[in-house]
Amino acid sequence: MNKDKVNCKDVMHHICESLGEDLNSYRCIAIKKHLEECSGCKSYFETVEITIDYYRKYNVKMPKDAHEKLMKFLHLDDCE
Amino acid sequence: MLNYSAKNKDKWKPIFDQCIILMEETEIIKLAQEGDRKALAQIVKNYEQTIYNFAFKICRDKNKAEHIMQETFYSMVKSLHQFDGNSKLSTWLYKIVSNHCLMLARKMKSRPFVSLDDDEGLFEDKYAADWSTLPYKSTENDELKSILDDAIKKLSPDYRMIFILRDVEGLSTKETAGATELSVPAVKSRLHRARAFLRNELNKSFQK
Repeated sequence: MNKDKVNCKDVMHHICESLGEDLNSYRCIAIKKHLEECSGCKSYFETVEITIDYYRKYNVKMPKDAHEKLMKFLHLDDCE
Repeated sequence: MLNYSAKNKDKWKPIFDQCIILMEETEIIKLAQEGDRKALAQIVKNYEQTIYNFAFKICRDKNKAEHIMQETFYSMVKSLHQFDGNSKLSTWLYKIVSNHCLMLARKMKSRPFVSLDDDEGLFEDKYAADWSTLPYKSTENDELKSILDDAIKKLSPDYRMIFILRDVEGLSTKETAGATELSVPAVKSRLHRARAFLRNELNKSFQK
């Protein structure tokens, strides 16, 4: 494979594999350069990031009685 | 030499605070391992919300999440003496809760999941989408929650687990591999497929 040339599919693979990883490899630099020039890949990169962010922010609170039930289940309710 | 001047105080404070929390946790774990039930109860209190939230994110069901949380802490109480402190307690707990989530999913076997073994289709999608005009700015939006739930439910629990541990809970790739007993390359492979799949599912829903 030609290391200097990357296509959009290479970029999409790489984005999905490397988000949050070390991005200083030779190939990463080529990917970053491609990203700057290709609006399609840039948009893809942003939408993957938004996807992760949505799931990260979607949290649920424990029901109010769940703590009491848990402590009772573990026979630790006398330790409160 | 460490220069802890007034100027640097703010810079170092979060690191010192984190060290104190870890030292306190080490002490609490030691007491619990020696049979101190109050210390054990404190560990449960410290992590119950995290474990419940994680279990919900995997099974997307509040009753199942509560059941998994109970089973996770029951396992923790039984095997805390085996915890050697080589990893963070949270990582060790993620390993236990992950196992319980997978066990429950295998028991349920309620629906077929999409196969991500062949990832060709994942990267052939029309990917040039612009989400900047989407109305969803907050995950408090019920419609968005439903889209997120529907998309992730199509992923098999094995893939969900990797995505949630690595991307949502913020474990490192190595910690994720440790918690799921997979190799680092296997984690990376599953992670990139899960990310691409979820992104494509959301994209399809947003285009409707």
